[in-house]
Amino acid sequence: MKRRRFLHTVGAGTAGLAAFSCSDRERAERLAGSDAGIDEAGLTWSKAPCRYCGTGCGVEVGVKDGRVVTVRGDVKSPVNRGLLCVKGYHLPGMLYGEDRLRYPMLRDGDNWKRISWDEALDLIARKYREALDESGPDAVAIYGSGQWTVFDGYAASKWFRAGMQSNNVEPNARLCMASAVTGFMTQFQSDEPMGCYEDFEVGDDFILWGNNMAEMHPVLFSRILANKRNNPGVRIVDIGTRRTPTTDYADMYLEFVPGSDLAIANGILHCLVRDGKISEPFIRENVVFKRGIEDIERIGFGSWGEDGLGLEPGDGPAEHYRFKDQGRDASLTELEDFLADYTPAKVSDISGVPAAQIETLGRIYGDPGRGTVSLWCMGVNQHTRGTWMNNLITDLHLITGKISRPGSNPFSLTGQPSACGTVREVGTLAHRLPADMVVTNADHRAKAEEIWNVPPGTINPKPGLHTMDMFRAFMRGDVKVLWTQTTNPWVSIPNLNRIRREPGDGRFLIVSDIYPTPSTEVADLVLPCAAWVEREGVFGNSERRTQHWHKAVDPPGEATEDAWQIIQVAKRMGMEHLFPWPEDYWHKPMYEEYRSFTLGLGKDVASYEQLEQTRGLLWPVVDGVETRYRYAAGHDPYVKKDRGVHFYKAKGYGEKAAFWIRPYHRPAEIPDEEYPFWLCTGRVLEHWHTGSMTRRVKQLHQAVSEGYVEMNRVDARRLGIGAGQIVLVASRRGELELPASVGGRGEPPPGSVFIPFFDEARLPNLLTLDAMDNISKEPDYKKCAVRIERT
Amino acid sequence: MRRVTGRILPIIALAALSGTCTSPDTVAVPGHEGARKSSAEIRAERRAYDGAPPVIPHRGFGADCVNCHNDRGRSVSGVGYAPASPHEGTRSAGGTIRCMQCHVFRTTDAEFVASEFDGVAQALTSGDRATAGAPPRIPHRVVMRENCLACHDGPGAREAIRTTHPERTRCRQCHLPIEKLDRFTTVTDPVGMDLE
Repeated sequence: MKRRRFLHTVGAGTAGLAAFSCSDRERAERLAGSDAGIDEAGLTWSKAPCRYCGTGCGVEVGVKDGRVVTVRGDVKSPVNRGLLCVKGYHLPGMLYGEDRLRYPMLRDGDNWKRISWDEALDLIARKYREALDESGPDAVAIYGSGQWTVFDGYAASKWFRAGMQSNNVEPNARLCMASAVTGFMTQFQSDEPMGCYEDFEVGDDFILWGNNMAEMHPVLFSRILANKRNNPGVRIVDIGTRRTPTTDYADMYLEFVPGSDLAIANGILHCLVRDGKISEPFIRENVVFKRGIEDIERIGFGSWGEDGLGLEPGDGPAEHYRFKDQGRDASLTELEDFLADYTPAKVSDISGVPAAQIETLGRIYGDPGRGTVSLWCMGVNQHTRGTWMNNLITDLHLITGKISRPGSNPFSLTGQPSACGTVREVGTLAHRLPADMVVTNADHRAKAEEIWNVPPGTINPKPGLHTMDMFRAFMRGDVKVLWTQTTNPWVSIPNLNRIRREPGDGRFLIVSDIYPTPSTEVADLVLPCAAWVEREGVFGNSERRTQHWHKAVDPPGEATEDAWQIIQVAKRMGMEHLFPWPEDYWHKPMYEEYRSFTLGLGKDVASYEQLEQTRGLLWPVVDGVETRYRYAAGHDPYVKKDRGVHFYKAKGYGEKAAFWIRPYHRPAEIPDEEYPFWLCTGRVLEHWHTGSMTRRVKQLHQAVSEGYVEMNRVDARRLGIGAGQIVLVASRRGELELPASVGGRGEPPPGSVFIPFFDEARLPNLLTLDAMDNISKEPDYKKCAVRIERT
Repeated sequence: MRRVTGRILPIIALAALSGTCTSPDTVAVPGHEGARKSSAEIRAERRAYDGAPPVIPHRGFGADCVNCHNDRGRSVSGVGYAPASPHEGTRSAGGTIRCMQCHVFRTTDAEFVASEFDGVAQALTSGDRATAGAPPRIPHRVVMRENCLACHDGPGAREAIRTTHPERTRCRQCHLPIEKLDRFTTVTDPVGMDLE
């Protein structure tokens, strides 16, 4: 196996850990912000946010002899108050898999050759320079992630936009929360939720839209359960396409036909309007109505083989998907007419959900006396109409006035530790600049050019390639040099057969990571990275909390942090003016430069000193005080005391929020006779994303050691498939053999299967369809058609 | 052999089976007839490091964990003694507690890649005393171990740490926690958040 050969060449397992330069006592004091950092057992303790999901739990990291030997939940963290999930408790093991990447490695035919950092950085600079000179800024790209620290993302964005004059900067967060970004941006003209985790203690009803929170955001779910223990009237509603561990705790479960959540939300709106349960004063003061393009033929899905679905004329796979929505003014009256098509009975026909359950949800959202929190994550975002679904959920709160109030908010959860902090706030999507600004706006470009001290006109006004287009362009050869960091696209991109790569194709792929993965296998150059507390970092979590940590241990071998790699390449390309800070002191000045983008805009992140001393703060932070509820008088310093709620960021809507009328559209691919099952993909509690970190933790691997296909027991019986039996799962795009799970932790309804994506040996993305949301360009991993065969 | 994820194989020892032991602080090792291990050793084996949540040492029984692992523990016919939950409020939690958030089954002994992780060792130190006759201080962190009697009394308790006076249920009246163990630092409270 290629990768194992790679390991032998690397000689993994031999590198030592250099001692820290300052004394243990000095280090402890610096890490802890006090003189109490070393305990009786000789452990040095420091604070850090967890490395995995977007919850952002605080952990205390215990270090001895230069190695992380323990962690514990941080009781001072307002996020988790001492509790972690099983992944968090096992964080230290993530650093110490014996196959850690330790040295830069260059492909040499079928082998790998260890090279020096100077050689590696010179080579990258030369490849990027050649591509720029020969083919221009469209031919270069960098692809990072929501695990990039603020430093990594800021360095990448500044280097590309102000140095390379290219906007081909993208994060893997395009695959996970881009629809939430476009949801918030289309409604508030400012990204990210208005509420905070305190909503979980204050709210009465928690409506989970396609959200297996018990496994994916366990610590936050435990906060809701604690609320339920203390207040027996608290209710949880699980709206899903599969029974999960979350369903076990739900007071009501709605099982819907995949994609029909659009109809369900409209059905609830129908009930609210019909029963007069809308808040007319709130609407008058705070809401405008909008309506976009709804013609399914015109919108399409952007997927390979779409022509076969009869949606667009032309030959061959869709290469570019550039649909642009156009909004127009609408009204409450137009909404009332529109909703006539969404009676509970009609919605029941589309969704399979009993009309009575839709009526019940109407009563829940329509009860002004109870706090309602809507929660969602991948089920809504990874959806061919994900932006619409985001809009509809927020619409439910806008029409009832249940928004920007403690315990009543639409709350989008994120799956990566800095999807908010780095991707959304720093702005590493292809069209973004920091603090909600975009490259297409001349004023925004001018502001960025001023802060970055580059000549006017430097920043390219053309948005870069979104992720799906970026990988398609790389396979075509239009992108000639691609650098990926902290992500594993050759596991996580949908329809993997479409990006199957053989090195030597004339393009150059650089992969920075901490372990060998299927992505390093197809790379030309592999760079070893410092992970988590092996470096200094800042993450931003789902509730707008910016959190900082100091380096606690040295990385193995010659591993370095991602931002350092970027800065060194930029310097070699003559762009040293972008990173004018001393080599041994650049984190803080870089952060403060980034922070200057955010001040005065309602996006104000906390100062570096404050971040070092606290368990993070919720932006906007004005005069050192954080904001728990945005747009709310008495909480948000940008709202006048007597104003109630004020959506002050939405200048384009007269400082009101936009209610978008959005219809139901069918999914891109629907089961038929040939492929009769729905396929949904996702995560499990024990593994995080592609599993490159968590599978190297013994306890987590031993809990769930391999991928499986979860089936309904009726289907299994009908097909004669027993638990553990190897079955073939095939779609129009690929096939996969893996064991069946029947009667396991989750159960899809008959006609539907689920496969987790952590197992690189059993890749469900060989099966998935690369269809996208029309507005966010986020692919849909939750709905395609497959068949199941016994082997 | 392929194993199905999520399906629980019969595994490992049922740990604190002190009710079935001949020697007070060792337990039988299932699958190895006659073999015995100290309960401290078994305790360490189930944890990635001292302080990590233990993996679940038995197969799933299809019931809520707190049915057996309640605040006093329970003898389960044909299986052994299910030790009490050390976590605060377990008894009243009913169906609103999610044990599997932190405790997972072990379905295989294999590793994906060998690990060089070497966690902090189990600390079996006793609490210090101000004077010879004074009550010892609590030598470990109290967070997630609020129910003292779960570990210090009953059939699930290790002999070495069993209390002589379980009837005096308000332990912290005399045994003081060491604040430093719970809070390593004195950083400023986040502004505006009312921390407990």
